[in-house]
Amino acid sequence: MNRRTFLKIAGLGTISITAACSSQPDETLYSLVHAPDDMVTGQATWYASTCRECPAGCGVLAKNREGRIVKIEGNPLHPINKGKLCIRGQAAVQAIYNPDRILTPMLKESGKWHAVNFGQAEAILRGKAKQAAEKGYNRVRMITEVIGDTLHALFTDALKKWKSEAPLVFEPFAYESLKTANREVFGVDGLPSYRMDKADLLVVFGADFLETWLSPVEYARKFKAMHAVQKGKKGRFIFISPYQSLTGVNSDLWIPCNPGGEAVLAFGILKELLSRNMGHDLPEGIGASILKQLAQFDRTYVTKRSGISEHQYERLLKALLSSENPLVLGTPSAGAGPNSLQTNVAANLLNLLLDPRLTLLDFQNRHRVETAARRIDVLDYIESIRKGASDLVLLNNVNPIFSLPPTSGIKEALDKKSMFVVCFSNFWDETARLSDMVLPVRHPLETWDEYGGHQGMVSTLQPAAGLMNDASTLGDLMLRTAYGKTPPASSYKVHLLARMFDKGKVSGKTGWLKTLQNGGGFGKAAPTDKKFKPSTNTDIAKTLSVTESKSDGIRLIAAPSIRYFDGRGANKVWLSEIPDPLTRVSWQTPVLIHPDTLKKKGWKQENLLRIESKTGALEAPIYKTESVKPGILVMSIGQGHEAYGRYAKGWGQNPLAVLPPATDPASGGPVMSFHPVSVTVSGKKKNLAITSGSRIQHGRKIALTVSLGELISGGKGKKQGLDMNAFPLALPLPEGYHPKRDIYPPHDHDTYRWSMVVDLDRCVGCNACAAACYAENNIGIVGEKRIIEGREMAWLSVERYHNPDRMEEIVFLPMLCQHCDNAPCESVCPVYAPHHSKEGINNQIYNRCIGTRFCAQNCPYKVRRFNWFEWEWPSPSHMQLNPDVTVRAKGVMEKCSFCIQRIKSAHTDAKNEKRLILDGEVLPACVQTCPTEALIFGNLMDKQSRVRKLVADPRAYQVMGYLNTKPAVIYLKKVVQEI
Amino acid sequence: MSVLRNMDTDVTYNEIDQTVLKTLESPSRSYWLVIVLLFLGVLVGAACWLYQIFIGIGVGGQNNPVAWGTYLINFVFWVGIAHSGTLISAILYLFRAGWRNPIARAAETMTVFAVCIAGLFPFIHLGRVWMVYYMLPYPNQRNLWPNFQSPLMFDVVAISTYLMVSSLFWYTGMLPDLATVRDRATGFRKKIFSIISIGWTGDFEQWRHYTRGFLFFAALATPLVISVHSVVSWDFALAIVPGWHTTIFAPYFVAGAIHSGLAMVITLMIPLRKIFNYQRFITMDVLENVAKTIIFTGLIVGFAYATEYFIAWYSHNIVEQESFRWRAMGEYQFGFILMVTCNSMIPLLFFVKRIRRTIAWLFGISILVNIGMWFERFVIIIGGVAHGFMPHSWGLYKPTGIEFGIMLGSFCLFFFLFVLFVKHLPSVSMTELKEMVSAGSDNEH
Repeated sequence: MNRRTFLKIAGLGTISITAACSSQPDETLYSLVHAPDDMVTGQATWYASTCRECPAGCGVLAKNREGRIVKIEGNPLHPINKGKLCIRGQAAVQAIYNPDRILTPMLKESGKWHAVNFGQAEAILRGKAKQAAEKGYNRVRMITEVIGDTLHALFTDALKKWKSEAPLVFEPFAYESLKTANREVFGVDGLPSYRMDKADLLVVFGADFLETWLSPVEYARKFKAMHAVQKGKKGRFIFISPYQSLTGVNSDLWIPCNPGGEAVLAFGILKELLSRNMGHDLPEGIGASILKQLAQFDRTYVTKRSGISEHQYERLLKALLSSENPLVLGTPSAGAGPNSLQTNVAANLLNLLLDPRLTLLDFQNRHRVETAARRIDVLDYIESIRKGASDLVLLNNVNPIFSLPPTSGIKEALDKKSMFVVCFSNFWDETARLSDMVLPVRHPLETWDEYGGHQGMVSTLQPAAGLMNDASTLGDLMLRTAYGKTPPASSYKVHLLARMFDKGKVSGKTGWLKTLQNGGGFGKAAPTDKKFKPSTNTDIAKTLSVTESKSDGIRLIAAPSIRYFDGRGANKVWLSEIPDPLTRVSWQTPVLIHPDTLKKKGWKQENLLRIESKTGALEAPIYKTESVKPGILVMSIGQGHEAYGRYAKGWGQNPLAVLPPATDPASGGPVMSFHPVSVTVSGKKKNLAITSGSRIQHGRKIALTVSLGELISGGKGKKQGLDMNAFPLALPLPEGYHPKRDIYPPHDHDTYRWSMVVDLDRCVGCNACAAACYAENNIGIVGEKRIIEGREMAWLSVERYHNPDRMEEIVFLPMLCQHCDNAPCESVCPVYAPHHSKEGINNQIYNRCIGTRFCAQNCPYKVRRFNWFEWEWPSPSHMQLNPDVTVRAKGVMEKCSFCIQRIKSAHTDAKNEKRLILDGEVLPACVQTCPTEALIFGNLMDKQSRVRKLVADPRAYQVMGYLNTKPAVIYLKKVVQEI
Repeated sequence: MSVLRNMDTDVTYNEIDQTVLKTLESPSRSYWLVIVLLFLGVLVGAACWLYQIFIGIGVGGQNNPVAWGTYLINFVFWVGIAHSGTLISAILYLFRAGWRNPIARAAETMTVFAVCIAGLFPFIHLGRVWMVYYMLPYPNQRNLWPNFQSPLMFDVVAISTYLMVSSLFWYTGMLPDLATVRDRATGFRKKIFSIISIGWTGDFEQWRHYTRGFLFFAALATPLVISVHSVVSWDFALAIVPGWHTTIFAPYFVAGAIHSGLAMVITLMIPLRKIFNYQRFITMDVLENVAKTIIFTGLIVGFAYATEYFIAWYSHNIVEQESFRWRAMGEYQFGFILMVTCNSMIPLLFFVKRIRRTIAWLFGISILVNIGMWFERFVIIIGGVAHGFMPHSWGLYKPTGIEFGIMLGSFCLFFFLFVLFVKHLPSVSMTELKEMVSAGSDNEH
């Protein structure tokens, strides 16, 4: 080798080695020369807005970091949700940064889609509408979701300009039977809200008020206000339904009845009450006519027809008669069986009998979803589109092709050649695919608008994020296309403001700014002295008859889903990744079947069940559960999309696709339960993506309950010892150490010892905390396959444990890192990656972790999660990532950090103001969003803190405390009571 | 002394030298075929590992709750294999069990290679193997130190010590033989063996130092057998996982290690003596003695199984009880049955003289014991955490193709090294054989 060759080789070698060994190239960072006023790099700006994931209309605060929304939290000032959000609200941000979001308008020409720009699309819309209007009356049709008054008025006006009728408001869950019953009994064709918090007994005929019914966050809060134990008292809750939804699981007594048997049972109780001489306040003669009508509903008949035992009937009646403020609620929006209207009428009558002044019903704050059209009217409208001569159909954020049964005619209606269909959608859902033009509009979190979840309330929306494209709001689009050269306002924002001033909802510019800042105008509504006087239909008795079910065979019920609502949530990946609260199955739609039925039929869990109806067929895996009555199959609505993006398409099954098209003749609502033509197992198996190993806790003192009686009497004085049954509460403080059980000295904590109290009595198992945790902490999404392999990454999982003696009794246990003082994970790591901080937190140092996974092996709570792969955030979903939290690489362990980034930021604030961190100042994401305030966070070393006071509660215990890990997450036992 | 019974009595020094040195002659074509096949296997394992490094540990079957899979099973398995090598070469030497002489070299080689392979597995197992130097106590400006409380740090120390001592012991023992080879070799080989025999002349002083040194190394290696595998067992026993957290683990693991190692010795010796015509050195009596020891270790292991169940019952600890109930009745029942049958029942067949003196039986049973011992590690390592404290987190584990690839690679690497060894170094200790031929006569080599 000569000198030259040597130098060449050496030079090349050096270059290639240094080039190959450098880390990934840094992406370019830009700093703004002129930043907007409200944008400080590194600091979040919060914008108040309104959640539009369902018609409830909760107030939200959107956290904006450098122009991106990284998190959505409830608005504490908002009267509906008081700072809390449900699982769907937490996931709302995933619509904005969805990888499948349509960013440019798409036009279908001769069966092929191609992109057009916004100006062209608008011109097409304007032209088509003009042509249609020239042709004659009512040639432009519009179907919209529930929207605010202002937008609705604008739509109506715009359509009038096009010589057409007002838009149809379509919601798949439209509460037809409840509305009809309210009309019949109270004379109000609407949906009053309920003062559930003032009740001491709830009797509910299936309404899933913790999941989708009317306003779940609001009712979850109100429910726990009456049902959580307070001063030795606890409201009671009886749930009557063929299947036990999440709501039913939270009841003190679940009475499983036959589908449609709710009405029979309600009639029976109505009769019992009337024959006890209640009902003086009913209008003349009604009581007697009802009694006459209900003559056959004696006890034996009622119990036989409704399929419950005499004992259960007795308990129900006794509870109702013995309570002071009972409240009776009717059927769920979907999932209602036959006789739904009758059940609701009877429930209303019961309320009228038990509480003649109807103090628990609020007819002023009526739910806005009442503006939705009845299903029968929707079908009529579709029929008129199909048969009539409309030229242009506008669809605003509705997906009727998914939500309506296939035989509803919607497909044929929208597929008509002579008609131009415009979908104002951001996603390729089933309906968008069938339309002629998809014109994306801004997401609600990018829009100026107002939407009051309760009638009469002002709740504002404002753009909270940098825009993803040039889309306008639908209001602007309407202003520009329908009014020619003389629009009533230059922009929708101006229009909105003018209208708010007109209606007297906002006064002056400062008033507007204040309203905007607060997220709405929430001044106390003037109390009306005018007492509500129900005007009961005098022929009400006629509605009180039940139809006989012709067949006793297997019945399928399509139930609304807490995660997907009516299916609109299915493209938000957190909602699929976080398992269902009851089944703990993610990504799939299992069929819930009672073990007795399985045994009778010879079916097994995970068998693929083929369900056929006259209109379609589907195959779904079986999940065995005692939460349904034998003979009932329950599937939740929301999955089984044929389009709607990568997270929705092809995942799970859609029970709506096999539902019969018929509507209930009495209320005009859809029928969500029916007898399938055939139900067979196909011999194939599908592994459930289930995150729970065992459904029971094997006596290990994990999720504990205490009876109300025992709690009041104080129970027996417990002997303290070292075994499982006598192990004391060992606080993660020096006082929790005792020479008898500890060799090592306690940790030295510096001013703070962070701790969380989890009140199992308040936890309803809604999983909002889990979603908040995914959003806050950049947790990886693994997908169905990896979950089947056991690689889910959730830092917080709400475990559900059945009572082995009575499997229908369930305790929910939010399980997160326990931040033990005597942590098994810390001692086994060879490199000190789990590190005990001065404030008691068990920190996981990602940079230090080499991935031995010994910590996860040794963690008895199994809360540690390993990064098996590099997880993906397909663009632009990475824009939601929280910049305050590291995105973990493959090969390291991670787990709940008690939201250390929030603690650190509180430290900074406190230091700047030269004070200590206040109690309640630090709110980890899960604590912040819990609708029932089951989670409380604070400093254990502060004797006055809430957590410190709560650990003195006689209900306080530590999960498997006998392991002497001294967890800093202290649980309060769930209080159970017999009814 | 009954030493000579283990070797045919009419063996001469010359015959020993001839036979052993014959093994170092140019290999046949079938040898190269074996080498190539084994090397391909090694490549498969390496490729699998490389793939895992790039994609993530998830390409294996580990999950939550079973975060440790075949990598640690194989780690424990190979450490176990290593131990009986030391048992034969060092402990039995101290006990003056002369029958171990013919197989001591091969056994000690097995130890060295098995420890190397075992030491590889913790690396393969790591999520971020490129950060493994964090486990070394090197001085750094952040003053970060490894955590010596962690059993994994014990492992680092124990395994590296063991590797060092057993390699030195192996090398020291080989010195006079290396010189023998040197003396008969020519050309390039002579150069190499001149270097590695570091000037051995066989004079009295050298022999004196040699025998002392050998004795000391044997004495040093002996406690390591106990301590290393005790430390390995503490990887589990010091955790609080039900089914792991028990004081019986150290002796139980040591016995298990020797049990599996003895089986591996038989598995290796039978083909070795056949291929290289060692039948006259490694006689049936030698193998029979190993088989007898296997009965003994099998009984210890069986006793440990029984003790675990007794303690689970006796402790009244419901978590422990459920863990052991599930071990025998749960999804991994097949592993439990294999473990009990192969480890503690089938070796009892060696009580029958005819069986322990039949090559086919010996070979078959030794393979079965190896399988059983692998499944013992499977049952313990997987079973404990799969069915741990938190019922909601219970789950199962299944190894993937990548893991099997790495496992195949590890076996291939072991045999690859061993096959290289038998062709390049004297696989039977000529020195010790000669000692057997005439104990006390002059030390001609």
